[in-house]
Amino acid sequence: MGKFPPSLRGAKLPFNTLMEKSPSQRPPQTSSEKPPYWVTSKKNPKRKPTKIPSEIVPQMPSIPFNSSTLSEAKSLFNQLISTQKKTPFDLKFCNSVLQSFSSTATLQDSIFFLNHMIKTHPSFSPDSSTYNVLLVQACKAQEFSISSVHQVLNYMSSQGFTPNKVSTDVAVRTLCSCGREEDAIELVKNLSGKNLIPDSYTYNFLVRQLVKNRELSTVNSFIKEMREGFDVKPDLVTYTIMIDNVCNRKNLREATRLLGILSEEGYKPDCYVYNTLMKGHCMLNQSGEVLDVYKKMKEEGVEPDLVTYNTLIYGLSKSGRVKEAKKFLGVMAETGHFPDAVTYTSLMNGMCREGDALGALALLGEMEAKGCSPNSCTYNTLLHGLCKARLLDKGIELYKVMQECDMKLETGSYGTFVRALCRHGRVAEAYEVFDYAVESKSLTDVAAYSTLESTLKWLKKAREQGLAV
Amino acid sequence: MLPQRMKQVITDNPKKLSDLIDLVNLPSTLREFMGLSQTSRLGCFKRVWSYIKENNLQDPNNKNLVNCDEKLKRILLGKSQVELAELPMLIKLHFPKQQK
Repeated sequence: MGKFPPSLRGAKLPFNTLMEKSPSQRPPQTSSEKPPYWVTSKKNPKRKPTKIPSEIVPQMPSIPFNSSTLSEAKSLFNQLISTQKKTPFDLKFCNSVLQSFSSTATLQDSIFFLNHMIKTHPSFSPDSSTYNVLLVQACKAQEFSISSVHQVLNYMSSQGFTPNKVSTDVAVRTLCSCGREEDAIELVKNLSGKNLIPDSYTYNFLVRQLVKNRELSTVNSFIKEMREGFDVKPDLVTYTIMIDNVCNRKNLREATRLLGILSEEGYKPDCYVYNTLMKGHCMLNQSGEVLDVYKKMKEEGVEPDLVTYNTLIYGLSKSGRVKEAKKFLGVMAETGHFPDAVTYTSLMNGMCREGDALGALALLGEMEAKGCSPNSCTYNTLLHGLCKARLLDKGIELYKVMQECDMKLETGSYGTFVRALCRHGRVAEAYEVFDYAVESKSLTDVAAYSTLESTLKWLKKAREQGLAV
Repeated sequence: MLPQRMKQVITDNPKKLSDLIDLVNLPSTLREFMGLSQTSRLGCFKRVWSYIKENNLQDPNNKNLVNCDEKLKRILLGKSQVELAELPMLIKLHFPKQQK
């Protein structure tokens, strides 16, 4: 019973898995991988230009460029125009031809090829999307400088398309997706020097990439340089992103510092900042503190949302204050928030921690009665709790339900379940659970087998000492 | 997805995982059973376990026991009955630690 890691895992995993099911939940609690909602939602209209190249991709097979030689490409293109007179020869098609060629050829050749296309096919007038194809290719090229990116940008201006914020965004995103964050920083600085200041989306995107993948000092110096050099200031979203990531790295001191700066700059923390903070406390095993954050929120007059309550209940459950957590179910009902699977699972987790697995099982009934359907995470939490509380028979019943619903097992609950089965001398059933875990792709073969093997090893030892069946 | 603790173990000790998944040249007895000349310890375990299931070799009264047929006996130390719990250990015997 005293094993700490599995129970801890049992608490964490449910949370993450649950999040995916409810997009509205995302912003404060998701791990660093997912962008906070505000960026994604506002981003969409803006991202359109970026997407154009990828939309073209499906058309690619129709224009095979086997060789990267310019002359062959030119002749192939000539052939295409002469033979395919009937088919619509529009911008999108030309873009895809260019994309297909540039993915195999050098940038210089691609530019020549584009010139050739314009010359031989006068009705084709390239627009910014065409240049973005080139831009993306230039960013993808594995080089150690951004000269090729500048080359495309210069070419664009020479053709009468002044690079704008969209081009910056396209370039920064492509560079970051290739892991060239340093180049992205350099590009943004260069462009800012030419009066092309990135908008808040590009800026926040880059900051998020940096906090995720680089040292904190890199981020701070980037922010400092942008502020001092080009008067680009981080906004509330930037701070939220940073606090979130800093909390993920368990660096509470930096989080507190950021919070100080935030209020110095005159921003009033909103619901999301508070949610992020609460989540941070949960991550740092200071779950008890969530209540303080909640009180502060109330004092400041910030209206808590569902995520706030979920984080609060999660934190309280995790720190063993299930009674208080349960009270908030009532508060939620008063304020018109409906508890969802996350809420209930957190509570069940807390109850299981206290050893009240039967109570948690009863909560499952209550939850279903209220029309809230449990997910695989709920079941995993319960399975884990039941096995820990030595209620193996109930656990097996639950497992059968999970099997019927094709639910995946999580590492923690799988391990606990296998151990419980072996402890009761039901090795054959443990083997079947192993089979299910592998079949349902819940775990990798290796992970599932290692657990089984070490459990059996432990069983053998226990038997030798006359402990287990 | 590997569990966190296992990730730690693997980064600390890559040998442990490689023992499990590296392909190994099989001894002649095992080669006959598997029909392969190379396999990993994990692959071998899965093959033996599915062989037991396919041929219904589990004891009907006690599923934890396996009544070995001739083929299985040859690779499991000649025992006529083995416990399922012993299976990983018995298979491990065919995969001695490699000295480098």
